[in-house]
Parts: sequence; structure tokens; C-alpha cells
Amino acid sequence: MIDFELSKQQAKVKELAHQFAKYAIRPISLQADRDHRIPDDFMQRLNDMRSMMTMGEVPAEYGGEGGGVGEIKDKKGSSQRNRVALVGAEELAWGDISVIMSLPGPGLGGPPVQFTGTPEQQERFFSVFKKPGLHWGAYGLTEPSAGSDVAHIRTSCRKDRNEWVLNGTKCYITNGGRADWVVIFATVDPALGRAGHRAFVVEKGTPGFSVGKIEDKMGIRASETAELVLEDCRVPADNLLGGEAAYAEGKKGGFMSAMKTFDSSRPMVAVLGLGIARAAYEAARDYVRDHFVLGRAIPRYALLAEKLADMKRSIDAARLMCWRAAWMADEGVPNAKEASMSKAYAAKVAMAVCRDAVQILGAPGLEQNQLVEKWYRDIKVFDIFEGTGQIQRIVISKRILRDQPTF
Amino acid sequence: MVSFALEEEQRLIQETVRKFAAEELRPHLRDLERAGTLPPALRQRFHELGLGLVDAPEALGGLGAGLVTAAIVHEELAFGDPGAAVALFAPHLAGQALLALGDEAQQQTWLGLFADTAGHQRLGALAYCELDGPVEGFATTARSDGEHWILDGNKSYVVNGATADVLVVFAQLDGISGRPGAAAFVVGRGTAGVTAGARHQLLGLETVEACSLVFTGCRIPNSQRLVGGSDFEAATQRLFARLSLIHAARQVGLARASYEAALAYTQERTAFGKPVAHFQAIAFTLADMHMDVEAARWLTWQAATRLDHGETLLCHEAAAHANEAAWRVADHGVQLLGGAGYVKDHPVEKWLRDTKALALFGPPSEHHALQIASAELGHAVGAALPSASLQPFFT
Repeated sequence: MIDFELSKQQAKVKELAHQFAKYAIRPISLQADRDHRIPDDFMQRLNDMRSMMTMGEVPAEYGGEGGGVGEIKDKKGSSQRNRVALVGAEELAWGDISVIMSLPGPGLGGPPVQFTGTPEQQERFFSVFKKPGLHWGAYGLTEPSAGSDVAHIRTSCRKDRNEWVLNGTKCYITNGGRADWVVIFATVDPALGRAGHRAFVVEKGTPGFSVGKIEDKMGIRASETAELVLEDCRVPADNLLGGEAAYAEGKKGGFMSAMKTFDSSRPMVAVLGLGIARAAYEAARDYVRDHFVLGRAIPRYALLAEKLADMKRSIDAARLMCWRAAWMADEGVPNAKEASMSKAYAAKVAMAVCRDAVQILGAPGLEQNQLVEKWYRDIKVFDIFEGTGQIQRIVISKRILRDQPTF
Repeated sequence: MVSFALEEEQRLIQETVRKFAAEELRPHLRDLERAGTLPPALRQRFHELGLGLVDAPEALGGLGAGLVTAAIVHEELAFGDPGAAVALFAPHLAGQALLALGDEAQQQTWLGLFADTAGHQRLGALAYCELDGPVEGFATTARSDGEHWILDGNKSYVVNGATADVLVVFAQLDGISGRPGAAAFVVGRGTAGVTAGARHQLLGLETVEACSLVFTGCRIPNSQRLVGGSDFEAATQRLFARLSLIHAARQVGLARASYEAALAYTQERTAFGKPVAHFQAIAFTLADMHMDVEAARWLTWQAATRLDHGETLLCHEAAAHANEAAWRVADHGVQLLGGAGYVKDHPVEKWLRDTKALALFGPPSEHHALQIASAELGHAVGAALPSASLQPFFT
């Protein structure tokens, strides 16, 4: 049945996440941005909020929270974890984007371990998150010379008895510096293209594995973005995700593992952008409400009102693009096109909304003690990370065209 | 529980209307445009599908389906031909006005005309806009002589105005100014004192007949006043919300038509040795068109589910959003076909004209924006209907 109302559990997740975002996250948002870090004690509180926005990266059978409340099945027996995760994530991003990106847990490293990892690997790598303290996973795909063109990664891997030897550099890795382990994508032979890809879990402290530069960025400053360096880094053969069998001829296990992550993560990232956009919209709306009175010249007022209305409806439409992609993921329906559409559409909307929010506030919107100034900086990355707007359009157009284009 | 899954019945209706649009509307799009009217046989075939009163209760001869189903029907019809989609829907806005404002007896009497076997020979209309109206309320007056209401005044841009069997008219109760004095009445075919002006020749939607109306001492019985339950203003809001929803669904159908035409054409046409769709400038535009269509559709569907529960805000959002998206898609449609898109060998030029016309069938986007902002800011920015709109519009 066509339905756009939240279930009781979803509504509860939304309410809890919103309260946390409003009363806990927002108050530290500006300071975290200035300090380029989130206070340690706050991280511990975040850890307690994990189940709220998990996408089920740590399955319940491996001691994780599973899909959290998302594991409650709907009437047809489908999981609702992607939808629940989206609802919670929008609220937390409304609070502060860097905070949710710094959330302890496997992060983007979760899906490849879950989708490609053997039961033994899942047990081993997910058990980290049961231990006391704060733990992160990370996802290392992008390289200085391979971003959107994932198939052309150059980080090499070579089998040497019971070990693999990795060499290369990964960049722009979220939580890369503090992660307990990182899923690293490498190639046995660049000439093999996607078929040559292998996915490894590289653990912190492995000799030859080091953290390079921590990036200074336009926005999402409190989120750690790291460069990772692999120099003759020797990884046990047991850390090859899925084992050798996953990469048998024609399987493209490594590449598919990298791509499969996006089916769930793109709608998630898209909705995070909308959380920021909604925050900016609400700030602009409240500013207009509190600084103008009805007696003021109507034409000027109506111009702002129309801008506000455009922002509101665009956010509402974009959210449904995200929900649709997440619903398809929950139903187990292939959703690569819809996931890309949600990301491309939401990023465009969110950029426009944050731009307009600054514009509506006028000069005060530029000031660094106003969150809209921060959101204007934060939002730009949504048109870039998790696949740029351009790469999303390549994914989409390849799926709507009859024959494969050679772009 | 968020779900995008259609019910089996909705899927069947969608399939049925899609087939009807593909076989009965699209191939005849230019013929219909030239004729400027629909052949009676086409009206009859649509009537036989039983979808003219898709959102009316079963007790009134309708299908009793929810508004999502109605949105699906309107999208599919408009996908075939937007002009025919408007013209084919025989009850037009009189049906919506009766559903929102009429009591049960009035609905039985007047909607019944569209439900019976001769329903396809009947048309409905809504006379709303005025060019000489006050800021709030109407210049057309309704005076009571005890047993009758007597209507006097001018109404503009009335679809089916000259031919309507059931005409709903908004007018001002004598002696009560502003919104509290706004009222609505049903005028049956052949009632004395109604004169139709010349038919408007339009930018698009050529199959839709519209004209202005003059009421001079038009007498109708008391029983034909539509009071809108206990709250006429709220009922009027619901009427315009329903109208906006249908409108949004039609824009989605039009946009999808243009998108699919461009998608097909750009894969057929080659330049520099490959299909033009295989150039990123074209492919990315197609991707943007596809996104625009889908986003507008989901917002329309969500608005439909909300309106099923009486909430009107999202209908304004959906209408404004669909207007913008459909225009952008229709423009891309012409652009991607280039010169071929500008000539009448292909339908895309018609859709670029139709989308602008559709955008002024019902309150314009500016009105929707003010309604959204009013709800969001917690106080009125600009007046709610019934009131003068910045731009006159067709109803």
C-alpha cells in the first residue's frame, strides 16, 4: 500500500533522534567546527545512540545491535532498517553533520564486511565494537588518482605465502585516522580492471600501514578526513574479505563489494544532506518570522515567502527520493539507479536551500556565529563525497539508456 | 510504514489507463489538437472505463478509490495527451466542488448525472475567477428572494463554461462582504440568465473549451446552494487542494511523456558517429529529467495520502513543485530534440505549450507558495482563497 506515514517505531526513532540532536548535538556544533574535533566525552554519549541510526552494519548474530529497531519486520516480512536509519539520520544531521559522521561503529566499512565477509571475518571484525571504549571502522576506496573512476585504483596487492602485501595511498577517508580497521580496496593487476580488485580489512597497527595527512576542509571540519599510506603492508590472508572464492573468475567480488555499499549508503548520505538543508530552511523561516512583521511592505515579504515555500517543497520532494531508494533496498529490489537519483537530487536541493538560507538572512548569514554560515560550508561536500553529482548522473544515465554509452 | 508499493487494484487501473492513453489518445494527439474538441465516441470509451468519478464514493456511482488512485489516473491520461486529459474528465471541477462542498442529496442529484450511462454526454464546470473582483470574496452577487437565489455578475476563464450540464458558481452573498460572504451554487444546464462569451483560443490544451460567463438575474432554487458543511472556507480549501492534486498529477504525466520522447529520440539520432544520448551533455540532461519526474510524482502521491486525511498543505507543495519540474522537463524535451523538437512532427513542442497552460489551470504557483509560507510561518502571508489571486487562472 502506498504509505508515507512513519510507523510507530519510526516515529519514535525520529522523536528520540530529534531530541538528542536538539539538546545534545546542536549546542556543541559550532565549537566542534572551530576545534576541528568532537569532545571525547561527547563521543561516548554518541556511542550510546548507535542503535538509533544504525544501518545494521553489525548484525545481531555477531553481537551488534543488528538493524536496531529497524530489524522489526513489516507485515510482509521485509526489514525496514534502511527506512528507519534514514529517519533517524535526517534528525541527527539536522543537529550536526560532523557528529553523525564521527559516530563510533563500522561506518561505511560495515557493508562490505557484511556483504562479502565470511562468517569468521564478520565475527572477528564486528566483535571489535563489543569491546569497551570507542571503535570505528572505515572504508578506503578513493586514491589521489582514482576517485569516481573506481575501476582504476592503483593500490596494489600481491600474495606472498600466507600474506598479502599492499602498497599505495588512500585519501579522503572518513574516520580513517582513528579506525580500528579499514576496508582497503586494492588490485592484483590494474590491467584486469574490476576483476582484479580485492577487498581487505587492514587493522590499525599493521606494520607498513600509517596515517598520513589529516585534511583541513571547507566544511564538515569536525569530521576526521585522513590520508592512509600502505608501504609493503603485510596483511594476513585471512583478512581478504570473502576469501579467495569471492574473487573467482568473473565474480568481480572486490568491485561489487565496493559498489554494493553505495546501494544503501547513497540514500543515507542523501538524507543527511537533507537534514542539513532542513536545519538551514528552518533557521531562515524562523528568521523571517521573527524579523519581519505583517505591516512590512508585502511585495518584499512575499518574495522571501516564495523562496521559503520553494525550499520547503524541494526538501519534501527530495526526501521521498531517498525513502524510495531505501524502501527498495529493504525490499531487496535492485536500486542502484534510485540510490544515485536520491543522492544527485538531494544534493542539488540541499545546496540550493543552504545558499538561499544565507541569502534570506542577508549579512548576518555570513557571520561565523550563525550556523547557516557553517551549513553553507558543510553542504558542498554532499555534491562530492559518496560519488559526485556528475558520477551519479553517469550511473543514472547508463541505467536509463538502452545500450551502454562510452562516455 | 513508508511504502511505495501499489495495491493490485491500483496497478490494474494504472495499466488500464496507460493502455487507453497509448491507444486512444497519443496516436490522435494532433487530430484532437486540430479539431479542438473530443469526438463523442472517445468520450464514451473513456466513460465505459468507469474512471470519471474515480475518487467519488461508491454510493454516488464513483469508484470509491483514494486520491493516490486518482493521481495515477490523471498522470496516465496526461501522459497520453494533457489536453485530452482535461477535456475527457467530464465532471471536471464541478465534480470536485460537489465532493468538497455539497451535501449528500446534492451529490446524489448532480454527480449522478455523470455516473449514469449517458454520463459521457455531460460536462461539469466551475466558475470561480473574476477580473473585477474585490481583494477578498467576489463581485458576482447572490441575492435571496426567499425561495431562490439570484446571481448577477461576470466570471472569467471557465472550462466547459458554454456547454456545462452542471455548473458550480462562486458568488458573494448580498450584504456580507469579504470571505464570510463567499458562497457557492449549482446551476443546471438551460437555466435562464447565463450567457457564455466567445471561446478562448489558447497557447496549449487546444481540446479544452473555455469561455467567460455573464450572469444576469439567474434564478436558482435554494436547494442548489452548496454550503460546504459547517465551515465553507475550510471546504473551499479542500476543493482547491483536490484541484491542485489533480493538477500536479497531470503535470507529472506531461513531464513523463516529454522525458520518454526525448529518451527515445536521442538514442535513435546519431551525430559524430554515435547516438546523441551517448554524449554526457545529453545523457545527464535525461538523468535530470528522470529525477524531476519521479520527485514530483512521489510528492504528489504523498500529498494524496495526506489529503485523504484532510491535510491540504502538501497539495500546494505538490502543485508548485510539479509546475516547476514539468516546465523544466518539457523545455529539455524540446531542447534535446533541437529543431525537430520545435516543429510539429514531434509532440514535444505541444507539451512545452501545454505545461504552461496547465500551470494556469487552477491557482498559480505564486498562490501555492504563499499558502505554504503562511502555514510554515504561522501567520497569513497573502490571502487564502477565496480571494483575488495575483494572476487570473482557469478553473
